[in-house]
Amino acid sequence: MGISFEEVRRLVPQRYPFLFIDKVVELEEGKRILCLKNVSGNESFFVGHFPEYAIMPGVLTLEALAQASIILFKKSFLKEETSNSVFLLASLRASFVKPVFPGDQLLLEVNVEKVVSKGAIVQGTARVGEEIVAKASLTFGLADKSSLG
Amino acid sequence: METLSTEEVEKDVTAIVAEVTELDREEIWQKREANFFKELEIDSLLALEILALIEKKFKIQIPEEKLVDITSLTGTINMTKAVLSENGRLKGEPQKA
Repeated sequence: MGISFEEVRRLVPQRYPFLFIDKVVELEEGKRILCLKNVSGNESFFVGHFPEYAIMPGVLTLEALAQASIILFKKSFLKEETSNSVFLLASLRASFVKPVFPGDQLLLEVNVEKVVSKGAIVQGTARVGEEIVAKASLTFGLADKSSLG
Repeated sequence: METLSTEEVEKDVTAIVAEVTELDREEIWQKREANFFKELEIDSLLALEILALIEKKFKIQIPEEKLVDITSLTGTINMTKAVLSENGRLKGEPQKA
């Protein structure tokens, strides 16, 4: 089951220039998601990273995996809207394998490792074609906005 | 499935908690009664990581309601022993029929 950009915008709280999912290609609720991000030469981050050599910041690839995780969590476990809640990344173990350049199509796959009502641990892999560009284990949780300092 | 002694469970759970908290094994063992949240600055999501690593290490499923038992190293060890015991995996315990 795929999801259009319009629904992605409804599910992910981030907005331009910080929304890094174009569409969901595959979704197995409670288990796995595969998202796509086309990396254009016009991305705002290429202005500064770097002026003479455009390369996608690795942390933004991780952000894309985190946004894919939000969609997976919301579609699988959070059926009701919770405008008072925010997703917070608690820990992250990541490795960057290859750089990402303008024109690349990022395939962002996230698999659930462990989930509870207020959070999850997921394994994410970012690929360009068949080649892995980054891997990460992410632990995130759902917190009430009012509980944050 | 392999059965484990209480010493093995204590050693393995201590190693897991040390890894997640980034504390030395000796140090976390000395502080085994210390409250994770109040004294060791561990939050509930690190408790989730501890739970997931225990599941993987001992090849057991731990229900979400047991998450509240992960409040100290001793609490975590006792919770792990209880789940292993329920599954007939703790040495010296009567095996389930």
